[in-house]
Amino acid sequence: MSMGFLRIQNLTKRFGEVTAVDRVDLEIRAGEFFTLLGPSGCGKTTTLRMVGGLEKPDDGEIHMAERCLVSPAKGVFVKPERRDMGMVFQSYALWPHMTVFENVAYPLKLRRVRRAEMRERTRAALELVGLGGFEERPATALSGGQQQRVALARALVFSPGVLLLDEPLSNLDARLREEMRRELKALQRRVKVTVLFVTHDQMEALSMSDRVGIMNRGRLEQVGAPEDVYYQPATAFARDFLGKVFALAGKIVETNGEECRVELKDLAAPPMCVRAHRIGESPWATGKEVMVAIRPEQISLAKSAGDCKGNVLPVTLQASQFLGDRYEYTVAVGAESRVLTAPASQPLKPGQQIYLELDPAAITLWPTAQ
Amino acid sequence: MAGPRIPALGARLRSWRGSLNGGVILMAVLIGVMGFYVIYPLVLILINSFNTATIAEPPVYGLQAWRDAFSEPGIWRSLWNSVRVGVTLQIVALPLGIFISWLLARTNIFGARVFELFFWISFIMPTIATTFGWMLLLDPNTGLVNTSIRGLPLIGGLTFDIYSFWGIIWAHAVSNGISTKVMLMTPAFRRMDSSLEEASRMSGASTWTTMWRITVPMMTPVIIVTLLLSVIRIFSSFETELLLGVPWGFYVYSTKIVDLARQEPPLVNQAAALGSIILVFLAAVIPLQRRLITRRQFTTVTGHFKPRIVDLGAWRYPATLFVALVVFILDFVPILSVLGGSFMTRFGFFHLPKTWTIEYWKMALGDPRLTNALENTIIVAVSAALIGAVLFSLIGYVIVRTKLPGRSILDSICWLPSAIPGVLSGLGLLWLFLGTPIFRPFYGTIFLIIVAYILGGITLSTQIFKANFIQLGNELEEASRMSGAGFWRTYWTVVLPLMAQTMVMVGVIKFMFAAQHASSIILLATSETRTLILLALDQVFSGHREVASITVVFIMTLTLGVALIARSFGLKVGIRAE
Repeated sequence: MSMGFLRIQNLTKRFGEVTAVDRVDLEIRAGEFFTLLGPSGCGKTTTLRMVGGLEKPDDGEIHMAERCLVSPAKGVFVKPERRDMGMVFQSYALWPHMTVFENVAYPLKLRRVRRAEMRERTRAALELVGLGGFEERPATALSGGQQQRVALARALVFSPGVLLLDEPLSNLDARLREEMRRELKALQRRVKVTVLFVTHDQMEALSMSDRVGIMNRGRLEQVGAPEDVYYQPATAFARDFLGKVFALAGKIVETNGEECRVELKDLAAPPMCVRAHRIGESPWATGKEVMVAIRPEQISLAKSAGDCKGNVLPVTLQASQFLGDRYEYTVAVGAESRVLTAPASQPLKPGQQIYLELDPAAITLWPTAQ
Repeated sequence: MAGPRIPALGARLRSWRGSLNGGVILMAVLIGVMGFYVIYPLVLILINSFNTATIAEPPVYGLQAWRDAFSEPGIWRSLWNSVRVGVTLQIVALPLGIFISWLLARTNIFGARVFELFFWISFIMPTIATTFGWMLLLDPNTGLVNTSIRGLPLIGGLTFDIYSFWGIIWAHAVSNGISTKVMLMTPAFRRMDSSLEEASRMSGASTWTTMWRITVPMMTPVIIVTLLLSVIRIFSSFETELLLGVPWGFYVYSTKIVDLARQEPPLVNQAAALGSIILVFLAAVIPLQRRLITRRQFTTVTGHFKPRIVDLGAWRYPATLFVALVVFILDFVPILSVLGGSFMTRFGFFHLPKTWTIEYWKMALGDPRLTNALENTIIVAVSAALIGAVLFSLIGYVIVRTKLPGRSILDSICWLPSAIPGVLSGLGLLWLFLGTPIFRPFYGTIFLIIVAYILGGITLSTQIFKANFIQLGNELEEASRMSGAGFWRTYWTVVLPLMAQTMVMVGVIKFMFAAQHASSIILLATSETRTLILLALDQVFSGHREVASITVVFIMTLTLGVALIARSFGLKVGIRAE
């Protein structure tokens, strides 16, 4: 497959004073499941809508295959109905005056597909989303999950080049959302359609995507495979948005090509060792104030220091709560309290001295300002 | 004999009083008064259609009135004319209204909000102002448009005669026909979730295809409600037909009734027979109207509101121009024409040595008839506004907030008046006041006019109050009851102050209604109790157009002025389809 099936270059959109999308560059491969992840107002939906042609950019270009879809500089704008893209809206946007069949057949009708073929393809699309036999129901008489599937069938029925998904799971309840997440991914594998997915839920983004782009304040901050962006966040925003962070302040006391040592502030612990590939690109000099960060689930708890490999941090256990599948521990790190979770296998008593093990390969290093 | 039963009965009475705190009495009084007020006049019409004696004479029952009425072809023709005018008007105005609402709410035409304000102004503007304004322009002999055309080549032979069927349609369309629909439909169009249209675009449909296949069908419920609300009032229209139809012998239902009742000797019983026919129509229409208004619509609104609109591209300019032209015809033309009429020596005669004059204004302001009518109008409108606001807030409150038995009866009574043509309720009240000895002294007083105007606004007022009470939430009142205040104390100290804004709004609506509607009082007023609108009609009929212009300017100022002031205070004076 060629690189850059969908190419976005320098894409910019302003709403009055606000720059909603700020010089975004992005290449999405054919057949890829690509997710734009970010908080509300970060510009991800606006980016998606510009790809779909529902919003006009102020600057930049979008190409699909080798076709230019929009370029204000060249005066090119392809209308949404000419872009050959399917889209699922957050509200599903099913037309209440049509049946399920009519909703799904609508794109084919507009393409003047012959009646028999239209019937066949519509039925196939509904089968694909598991709604065979629902053809004659009014679209709004279905449950949220079913409406979602109809919207998906409508977006896929004409075999579009790209499928745009605008937070399609956010209106579903938690259990249904999980189920749809798995189904959507399986469906995409089967149909092999290129997907541009927009969400504010990092769980959805990490679990479904081939690659994730993290957006903040109109800027694309980091693009990469889910594991990469999670464990090696490029920016403080990506680090904090993707999951919980266990961070400690300190000062670099020693550095060489392979690793560096950080003495923790106000804590009676041996200096932390950080592996070179976790250090990032900032020029780290001895004596610099820094922050060490690690995902809390990468910390293991031990009753004695001897059980630990790598960095060891002695803490006092203040409280523990049983959550069913795991325990939640409140520990005193110096003068501060932190919350960690651990598997339910090791009951620990409050008041007891315990040890946190931090893998040098899992720790990342950050400037103190962040 | 009944000894053992007395204590039991006493206990039962006590428990009634205890649990219902006089609520039943209140309800009985309300139903009694409203029933007498709303239904009894209609019953009188029905009874008296079988009476051959005239009002205030001992009744002689017989079928003579019905026989007379229907042996005259004019009666049937007037009914048919009402239907014809109503249906033709809807065929013209509904598609236009849909299209304009779509342009205003869903596309990027310039100045949509400003245009919407002008449609609102057109909606508020009294029918007599638009009709009269266009009369000055389209009179076949003296109308400004017609005299101007005469000098032109090619189309010089054309005359647009407003005294015609199409003239009446035109006057209706420009006065309320279009603006009512735009007022009702634009907010509904605007609230539609735009992703429904976007989904259509993404499916491959163009802007126009999307409008025809998605937007308009989605709006069908609102469009049907809008249409039926107009159809229900088909027999109510009066002023336009009076001004434009009667001069050439074209009668509709309401003008025919007035004509019969005003003949010498008055044929009130025939008028009653004609009135009774419509009671049958009303019996079918009122439940329909009630269902339409209270029924839930398609839920087209989603949680997050996206005010995204259609980019018309190059069509943006002609579309804006089109709406601007409509607004010009609806608002500016009648206002300028009426003002011009009042300041010109002869309207439309620009070549006279003295084209402009303030003579008519001097004359009018010194004329006791005008000052008298102005005084009457203000007394009537203010009284109707005050009494209406207080009375209907109580009714709305009782219907929404209490669990008293009989609420649905009271509610049903309040639904009646809006569908009753004003002329008919006027006729009923005429009988009530002349035929009931204790009320007879009130005939000829201004009190009668006030009573008629309050009656006309019952439905709208109670609906507004009901909607607001439902929105208000129960807790505020319950907190008052828990603090120890009784029903009436809570009503006066909590409910009324909270409803102050709504009360003002209902007051404003009633004031405007009273200042511009002639149909419900035309049979009740005398030369002493004549209001501005009746004076204006009389002046037009006697051919004093320049003086009539001045009266119309007064009516316009009163209604539009009050509405604009209310609007500047944030009151949403108007109507809604939902």
